[in-house]
Amino acid sequence: MDATLAPHRLDALSAGARPRADARRWGRWALNGAAALSLGFILLPLLLVTWLAFFRQEIPSFPPEGYSVRWFGAVANNKIFVNGFLLSLQVGIAATLIGLALAVPASLAIARRRFFGREPINTLLLMPLVVPGVVLGTAIYVFQIETEIATGLPVLGSTAGLVAAHALIVIPWAVRLVTASFAGFDPTIEEAAKNLGAPPFTTFRRVTLPAIRPGIVAAALFGFVMSFGNLEMSLFLVGAGRTTLPIAILQYLEWKIDPTVAAVSVLQIVLIGAAMIVTDRYVKISQVV
Amino acid sequence: MSVLSPSMGTRRRSPSFGAAGLVAPATIYVGVGLLIPLAILFRYSLNRFVPGQFMVDALTLENYVKFFTDTYYTGVLWRTVRVAIVTTAFCVVMGFPLAYVLARTRSRYKNLLIMLVVLPLFVGNAVRAAGWMVAFGNRGLVNASLVGAGLIQQPIEIMFTETAVIVGIIAVNLPFMVLTLQSVIEGIDRAVEEAAFNLGASPIHMARRVLLPLAMPGILAGTILTFILAMNAYATPVLLGGPRFQMMGPLVYNQFVQQNNWPFGGAIAFILMIATLVLTLASSLLVQSRYRHAAG
Repeated sequence: MDATLAPHRLDALSAGARPRADARRWGRWALNGAAALSLGFILLPLLLVTWLAFFRQEIPSFPPEGYSVRWFGAVANNKIFVNGFLLSLQVGIAATLIGLALAVPASLAIARRRFFGREPINTLLLMPLVVPGVVLGTAIYVFQIETEIATGLPVLGSTAGLVAAHALIVIPWAVRLVTASFAGFDPTIEEAAKNLGAPPFTTFRRVTLPAIRPGIVAAALFGFVMSFGNLEMSLFLVGAGRTTLPIAILQYLEWKIDPTVAAVSVLQIVLIGAAMIVTDRYVKISQVV
Repeated sequence: MSVLSPSMGTRRRSPSFGAAGLVAPATIYVGVGLLIPLAILFRYSLNRFVPGQFMVDALTLENYVKFFTDTYYTGVLWRTVRVAIVTTAFCVVMGFPLAYVLARTRSRYKNLLIMLVVLPLFVGNAVRAAGWMVAFGNRGLVNASLVGAGLIQQPIEIMFTETAVIVGIIAVNLPFMVLTLQSVIEGIDRAVEEAAFNLGASPIHMARRVLLPLAMPGILAGTILTFILAMNAYATPVLLGGPRFQMMGPLVYNQFVQQNNWPFGGAIAFILMIATLVLTLASSLLVQSRYRHAAG
């Protein structure tokens, strides 16, 4: 049929279709261009800070006088950055473990059971995400001081106090991601396991847990990253001379910017990028964010 | 009977103490760790600050009155709201095309592209502010390029201006907007776009009449999220705005930690939280009523 169309009819057809096809092609170019600009804008600060980390001279002036990797060595000799990194790592791991231990059972109940107060409890568990970091920091600061007065224990500025506060911001992420991972899970599979004689714990371990594992892995990544990078809340809770890495970077930058702090930033970018790539092997990041 | 209908089994009411045992630890933890601290902070905000005596027990609104009667503090609040509105508007306009491309692409690099959006979000605000400091300084990339190109003689002032803070906050919040929009656009059937094109709509027409109304819930969610984040920004205004460019987040910290004025700091924290909440609710009601109008 197409092949038998007279030439003049083909012309008439394409003449009508061409402006629309052109408009769509231009539209697509404009769209891709705008998208590339936005992505570039998001990535630009990371690229700039990485560039600075390899400057030879200390002052961030352009064009650079040459390139060097010596600033990465300077980071290793900087006690504040090294200790900050170790504290952030410690707090991040502990807070993630505590947060998951509390949030995974709660998510199980919220996703699978119908009980009185389910909705309000769900809202409460997500609340630490909604309360502004600065407000959260001030509130926990006064709470820890009141606790110190009441119990005589040194809470404020201690690692335990910091971990307790960080677990609070891990919980909402874990609840969100783990309850979401129940969405595609068919409860009749659990019933089948039980009908085949599996005890409840075996059913959980062999059937339920594998099904929600992607959600738990994603929750561990997000929880750790949110704790590791937390700034606003931690600012109120760290002790004198004991700061987390983000606070160490912030306080350094308030004073000056140079390739040393840029090198620390690059190390942080690399660490988090690596954590994302490892996690991505277990659960596609694009499917959980 | 129960063998024939397996759904009977799932509908069997589990003993509610089982559910209670599962949710109780987390609920108690967040209740004690979040609600009690907020209650104490609110109580503090009603106390009186006497220089030299620190905090004196009282039941007064004078901290709130002080905030709203001093033009310095209302100025900080107004500046914060203005910056939040401007940055959120930019986030919508810049975020939509990227979110659309990410949602619709069939490229095998899709996962990588999304990870490139998530990575900056993960590395924290201070690191990203450092990147902008490289660009904005007197001898930074922007000034060096402009002087080098002969466009200006003297370096222009970019660091410690509102522009620097706005650029910084847009870059911080844009990934949140993109990811929110992307997930909503992925839920919109591509066939409705094709239908609009087949009926003769231009791309702009299609976007305005089909895509935007369908994506409105996502735009609203992304707007609310980025607006809240902008209102509460801390690291970006401190590093790119400097000590003279005050916004609400740093103001709370200054009053609390540097001035040791807990009652006033607590009051500012609550004003910030209430202002964010009220503006968020107002804008979502406004959008929803307009949206219903357009649909009806």
